[in-house]
Amino acid sequence: MRDRIMDSTTLTPEKDASGLADAIDRILDKGLVINADITIDVAGIELLGIKIRAALASFETAAKYGLEFPSGTNLETAAWKEAMIEKEECPQCGKRVDSEELLNIACPWCGWESAKAKKRKKAGVKVEAQ
Amino acid sequence: MVILRPEETGLKELLDRVLDKGVAVDTSVRIDLGSINLLGAKAHIILASFKTAEKIGLDFPEGTNLNTLAWQHLTTKQPCPVCGMESKSKELKEEGCPWCGWNHRPDER
Repeated sequence: MRDRIMDSTTLTPEKDASGLADAIDRILDKGLVINADITIDVAGIELLGIKIRAALASFETAAKYGLEFPSGTNLETAAWKEAMIEKEECPQCGKRVDSEELLNIACPWCGWESAKAKKRKKAGVKVEAQ
Repeated sequence: MVILRPEETGLKELLDRVLDKGVAVDTSVRIDLGSINLLGAKAHIILASFKTAEKIGLDFPEGTNLNTLAWQHLTTKQPCPVCGMESKSKELKEEGCPWCGWNHRPDER
């Protein structure tokens, strides 16, 4: 009995492991824009003005949305090219997979199939049968 | 054995909401001495996810390339009401969700 419980807990996907990690994942994945205009004036004279335009995101999201990287960053590496491929999280196993492949074929990790892929498969079988 | 962790889904939901709706902070402080305006401070701060920022027209830092594919997808893709996965609005409306198969059934309306 204990073994069975152990099994079921070890099988839970890792992405459920921690709420904080999940929260950070989300923020980095969605990206965060922080814009602020701050002015300070003394005796009616504007003394200091601060204008902040900040964007916070993971490397992948930053690359996708075309944020500028510090000068000297080599954007020709394999990792950048990989980041530019549109990815989606597999609803079953949670791995990030090329969204075209996931949608049109299946998840290469767990074999999950989308409704579209199933429909296509069905249509394909029908065509063959005719 | 299913273990539900309500506090975690709560945090996730909260974060999603905050990011999607955006947060605006608008403050002004004034300190007067007698009738002389001694010190004044104004702050307009806004915080939002990329998607919301684009929707409400926030400025992005200089040098941002606003012509990438991801920007176009923000306006052409929509989440499915059942599974939440994003797909092209037209496809979702006309053929149903390509991810979960949800369909709003135009025949039965």
